Amino acid sequence: MDYRKIGEDIVKKAIKGGADEAEAVIEHIKEFNVSVRKGDVETLKKSVSKGLGLRVFINKQLGFSYTSDLSPESLEETVKKTVELARITEAKPWQGLPDFGPQPLAELALHDPELATVSDEKKIGIAREVERIALAQDKRITNSEGGFFSDAERIAGLFNSKGISYTLQETRCSFGAYVIAGEGDNMQGGGWSSSKRYFKELEPVEQVAKTAAQRAVEMLGARPVETKKVPVVFDRYAAPAFWMGVLSALNGDAAFRKTTFMSDMLKKQVASPLVTIHDDPTRPRFVASGPFDGEGNVTRKNTILEKGVLKMFFYDSQTARKAGVKVNTIARRGGYKSGPSAGFICVIVENGEEDPASLLKDLKEGLLVTSMRGTGTDVTTGAFSVGCSGFWILDGAKAFPVDGVTLGGTTLDLLKNIDKLANDLDLRGSLNSPSFRVTEITVGGKKT
Amino acid sequence: MDKVVRYHTINRRSFLKKGALSGALMISFPVWKCLAARDPEALLASDPAALSILDKEDLRKLLEVCLSRGGEFAEIYFERTVSNSISLDEEKISAATRGLDMGVGFRVLQGEKTGYAFSDDLDLAKLKEAAETAALIASGQTTEKPKNFTPLSPPQYYQVKVSPDTIASKAKADLLIKANAVARVFDKRITQVGVSFSDISKKIMIANSEGLYVEDTQTLSRLGVNCAALEGSNRSMGYESKAGTYGFEHFDLSLAEDFGRKAAEMAIRMLPAEDAPAGEFPVVIAAGFGGIFFHEAIGHSLEADGIRKKTSCFHDKLGQPIASEVVTLADDGTYKGAWGAVNVDDEGSTGQNTILIDKGICSAFLQDRLNAKLMKMKQTGNGRRQSYQHYPIPRMTNTYLHPGESLPEDIVKSVDTGLYIAKIGGGNVQPTTGRFVFSVTEGYLIEAGKVTRPLKGIMLMGSGQEVLKNITMVGNDLLVIGGGSCGKDGQSKPVGFGNPTLKVAKITVGGKKA
Repeated sequence: MDYRKIGEDIVKKAIKGGADEAEAVIEHIKEFNVSVRKGDVETLKKSVSKGLGLRVFINKQLGFSYTSDLSPESLEETVKKTVELARITEAKPWQGLPDFGPQPLAELALHDPELATVSDEKKIGIAREVERIALAQDKRITNSEGGFFSDAERIAGLFNSKGISYTLQETRCSFGAYVIAGEGDNMQGGGWSSSKRYFKELEPVEQVAKTAAQRAVEMLGARPVETKKVPVVFDRYAAPAFWMGVLSALNGDAAFRKTTFMSDMLKKQVASPLVTIHDDPTRPRFVASGPFDGEGNVTRKNTILEKGVLKMFFYDSQTARKAGVKVNTIARRGGYKSGPSAGFICVIVENGEEDPASLLKDLKEGLLVTSMRGTGTDVTTGAFSVGCSGFWILDGAKAFPVDGVTLGGTTLDLLKNIDKLANDLDLRGSLNSPSFRVTEITVGGKKT
Repeated sequence: MDKVVRYHTINRRSFLKKGALSGALMISFPVWKCLAARDPEALLASDPAALSILDKEDLRKLLEVCLSRGGEFAEIYFERTVSNSISLDEEKISAATRGLDMGVGFRVLQGEKTGYAFSDDLDLAKLKEAAETAALIASGQTTEKPKNFTPLSPPQYYQVKVSPDTIASKAKADLLIKANAVARVFDKRITQVGVSFSDISKKIMIANSEGLYVEDTQTLSRLGVNCAALEGSNRSMGYESKAGTYGFEHFDLSLAEDFGRKAAEMAIRMLPAEDAPAGEFPVVIAAGFGGIFFHEAIGHSLEADGIRKKTSCFHDKLGQPIASEVVTLADDGTYKGAWGAVNVDDEGSTGQNTILIDKGICSAFLQDRLNAKLMKMKQTGNGRRQSYQHYPIPRMTNTYLHPGESLPEDIVKSVDTGLYIAKIGGGNVQPTTGRFVFSVTEGYLIEAGKVTRPLKGIMLMGSGQEVLKNITMVGNDLLVIGGGSCGKDGQSKPVGFGNPTLKVAKITVGGKKA
């Protein structure tokens, strides 16, 4: 199908049908998923799906609809319905398409032409192999949730009545395993995966398998500790969950409405001077990169925190217009079924200078967090509370695995009390962080 | 593989969200209306009669294609879902949206293997292509032939007189305007009010090689009100919602008025909230939201996939005591009008009321077709899928604790120092270890048998094995609620839950004060 034609046509039809402004997004996704358990294929799923979302404005009133049916009759109906929907809503002066028009897009090399040539057998083989190696790593590995391989090729288009007509072709592939160590009431699961744009850049199967196995085995015998305040180290793979909570509090519209504890913090020191955070979706070939955002703005590198000072909130063009701020907008979009909203795309908490081992070395007693069950941050109040697991640290070394404990505090205190930031950044997804240490957090556990 | 991969580990199972925390509405669950490609008019009609348009002979041929490689069982799942939502924000009707999801899924089973493919193109050639892809899970000659269809007329558990899809937006907007007006004038510290009404009309048709043919129309409606309050540097949120397999007749202006007031009341009550304590405490959970506690603490761990694969910590506990004697827990797809009610599940098995824990004894698992067959147990109507793009897996419907004998006020009085949990925001569990957490959105301190000061930042953490044995009192005031969405293996599904007031003798509370 000629998606550019469909996209440009429906925008024209919406204008003809009464809209002042219109925008269409189209997605076409071809997917392959296989899971293997104990050596046998358990599920094999292949699919092609598509859909279109249409956003229109009439007198600054908004209507939105989507459809998975791209037949001419259905698209005709979609235009009619969306215009009707816009007439139901009330005008808000800031509503409308972004002010910018078409801009030159960077070539980020997000499409792997070779992926299409990889056979199903080869992909199934990888899923089988990663599970096999993970199961064979250690005698204490007793069971498996399986190995998997999945990939997707996506064509995405964004078209609007201000002349934007972008299409993007991208690929993604990933594989991993999840295995279980121990038996009865002492079981622990552990998984790991690798996700890349290019098939050839996937991490070695053996490395992913070993990490999955290690993450299960090392948690055997995990137990709660008694309630106390101690220094807490967040390892680099647990840290992104923490930052997710912090970033959620930086929504510009929430700040404007004063519904987030960060509302009055712009240009203030909100975190330790060690912390600098960027949003940077412009890295070529990277899994979380993209040339344009959810409303068609070209992506670029933005500074969120610089040496602990809050430099920006997240706005899309409508909320920026409303708040009267002139900033680089960043709009996320979850797919064709929703409109754009403000947010980050690819966040990197920049490396510190410490060797990761030095975060533990001088601790007499403390907690190393390797997994968080949630983000912890209450965006409204700024209270921090989360369940976690990891290791108890005694005299600078891992003493035993810990599970069933909570961390409690306030997010701003945690941010300010970061006293060490490691240099172990490993870019894997849309939120990346080195390991870091907080001087003191309340660890909630059992009575002894 | 699933969305949680963002955190770099493969996180298994469940994230349950409710009310204000979910931000936007629950609008993403698909539904249907079957139609054939040759009749585009039918695409737009809301008339359930259109369901039968799909030619049974075509279905039979497609099932034959599915079985052509030697599969043991084949199934076709049609879906047409219309989703509507309208929302009010900053005193204005700010958005109106409508969505259509439509497609056909093909599933082929052989032993423990599942082949799955779907098409959102209803052209017969495209459907045949998808059926061929699903068939590839098996490799051999045809061994099974599809049986003749016997239409199934399931019992009705939904409470729908007036389809919300047929209601003019004006009537829905009036609800939002009313709730907003009441919340705004309730207190001048209320700074933001958001109200939304969303509905889903999902028509499904399931036909399988064993001769099952069933159609169902699932209707879900939800009205939600969120309020934010501000006083000095204190911020708080309040929310109230009603959600179920309801028609529009369940929503009127007096309900909107009531919800506007209740959401505002909650926000104002929580304004002066203090830091929560940390450590082990007795906890009283109010009627309604405690169902999330059971959903996480035990429900996921009793789903048959984890049981069969022995990856759940409860896999060998059937017939054994796993909870105190006051605990009788049901998963009930037949609870009328409940958010998770199902006339049939997403593989055509009729909704059932299954007792999972009978006076403390583990008495059943949550079964779908595949696992029930492999485990030689009965299906329990828990084979559910998000949409035609997904294959069914064992899922909860409405999970609730049966009422006991205690009076709610006596339960509170029995606690000297502890916590009173009024509303829960969401939680998650790892079924392998049984460890779960859930976050509390409205909680209070109990001092000398009385509910006193509001608290913020409460997280409760425990293990299913331990905490169920620590339930010591159960009230007589069962309340079943809806509006939540449960995530498992990348699939989101509406689930209901409920409980009477109950007491957990001790559980770990994650707060700030050591």
